[in-house]
Amino acid sequence: MRVNVNNLTFAYTQKLVLNNVSFSLKSGDFLTIHGKNGTGKTTLIRCFLKLLRVENGMIFLDDVDINKIRKFSNVGYVPQKNDFNYEFPITVSEILSCAYPRKRDAFFTQIVNSMDLNTIYNENINNLSGGQIQRVFIARALLSKPKLLILDEPTVGVDIDNVNALHDILKKLKEQSITIILVSHDMDYCSDITDYYLNFNELGEYEFEKVGGEDVSS
Amino acid sequence: MYLASFFRALLTYDFIQYALVAGIIVGFLAPIIGTIVVIRRLSFIADTLSHFSLAGVCIGVFLSKLINWKVFDPLFMGIVFSVAGTFLIERLRGFYKNYKELSMPIVMSAGIALSGLFISLSNNIDSKFTSSLLYGSIYSVSVGNLITIVIIAAVVITFLSLMYKKIVTLCFDEVYASVSGINVKLLQLAITVILALVISLFIDIVGVLLIASLMIIPVASAILLGDSFKNTLVCAVAFSEVSLLLGFIISFHANVTTGPVIILINIFILIVIMIFKRIRTNVKKEK
Ligand SMILES: Nc1ncnc2c1ncn2[C@@H]1O[C@H](COP(=O)(O)OP(=O)(O)OP(=O)(O)O)[C@@H](O)[C@H]1O
Ligand SMILES: [Mg+2]
Repeated sequence: MRVNVNNLTFAYTQKLVLNNVSFSLKSGDFLTIHGKNGTGKTTLIRCFLKLLRVENGMIFLDDVDINKIRKFSNVGYVPQKNDFNYEFPITVSEILSCAYPRKRDAFFTQIVNSMDLNTIYNENINNLSGGQIQRVFIARALLSKPKLLILDEPTVGVDIDNVNALHDILKKLKEQSITIILVSHDMDYCSDITDYYLNFNELGEYEFEKVGGEDVSS
Repeated sequence: MYLASFFRALLTYDFIQYALVAGIIVGFLAPIIGTIVVIRRLSFIADTLSHFSLAGVCIGVFLSKLINWKVFDPLFMGIVFSVAGTFLIERLRGFYKNYKELSMPIVMSAGIALSGLFISLSNNIDSKFTSSLLYGSIYSVSVGNLITIVIIAAVVITFLSLMYKKIVTLCFDEVYASVSGINVKLLQLAITVILALVISLFIDIVGVLLIASLMIIPVASAILLGDSFKNTLVCAVAFSEVSLLLGFIISFHANVTTGPVIILINIFILIVIMIFKRIRTNVKKEK
């Protein structure tokens, strides 16, 4: 999926967080977003998903203004801190089948296997560790067969084997021309497949740079 | 022997049959809606709406004595108030940043005050009528009521089963729900309107004071046991129906109001489950 961000500016009631951000990605591009805590990474993503109202600037997905999109059918999202209802009596299998109803389908099984969810498949979400929950959420995002996958610090609290497994999955998805936006604090994570970096600093400034190439931000 | 005489009465009197059918439907619907209500942390809304709906009923009684218009039918007025109450609560929430839940006691107080006022304004209301408003009078269910109940139940159950996955998603993770294309506001509205409808429908049967309990207590029990969402639903319905049937039989023999007995049995089940859970965790700890 192609992504274009034009002069995006966003402020919470008083605080300016995103200042005139512009960049564009082609299908299959991999963007890694870096920046210290509180520099606006999550805010940018929330703008993408229309969880925040963008008043200044525009975002286009495959050349369609997101304000005109009523339903993101091919955007997968793995939230940073899972602000879901922890006490909800629900099993992993129920969470996944809400995203993808055909539980016997090969694609479903493949995702469940790739995220190593077989052993916890019928567990209640309350009984899982933070990393296990994170894997469930990644699987859920993949089940929506995304063309754009957005992951906000997906590796926090996940053990090294699964961090590596996620890297391999992202690499495969990139090969399938899926556009990926990854927020990460680890400078090296996925550096082999990253095409662009978006770096935010505390002053509300940003730089958008192509790997091995020139700084293309204005 | 107890059972035999209950069944004989059941076969003889059709009002007992109507009551039982109405009861079984309510016993099915209440915990299902209750599960959503509890999980969305709306438990208090059920109570608020039932009291606000009561105001509608009382105003309906008052007005229909003055003017004989169909729109002032108490049941209909109850529904109107109940639905209006949901919007009122939403509106009032907007006035507070940190004390949003204040909107509920405000609406509830308005409901209680209006009910009291209009009951005292409509002279010659007998105490039997007020007590049936408060605690319900399931044996006065008519064929007409029963048909309304069946229709609304069918509509609600069809809606809930069609929207099952969307509702589960919304309850579990609102952000994901909106990203995955669910119209969160609309679905939320639909859920509250259904809640309001069902509450006003139940007033006749279980009474204002007990509606919320009927929705919430079986769920409070089920949530302690259920692993999956489906299990929780099934357990809640099972507890609700068991209490209902037992409540019918016991109240029939003891010749007391049915509603309170049903709720007390529900609470009894809840306590048993709590004790059972406590023992089980203690056993686990010792191991
Ligand atoms: N709902 C909100 N209302 C007001 N200000 C907010 C809100 N959410 C975030 N902010 C502020 O906006 C700034 C950017 O927040 P954001 O969550 O986008 O940062 P981040 O880069 O994702 O940080 P982190 O690395 O901690 O996840 C922060 O200074 C934060 O205080
Ligand atoms: Mg963040």
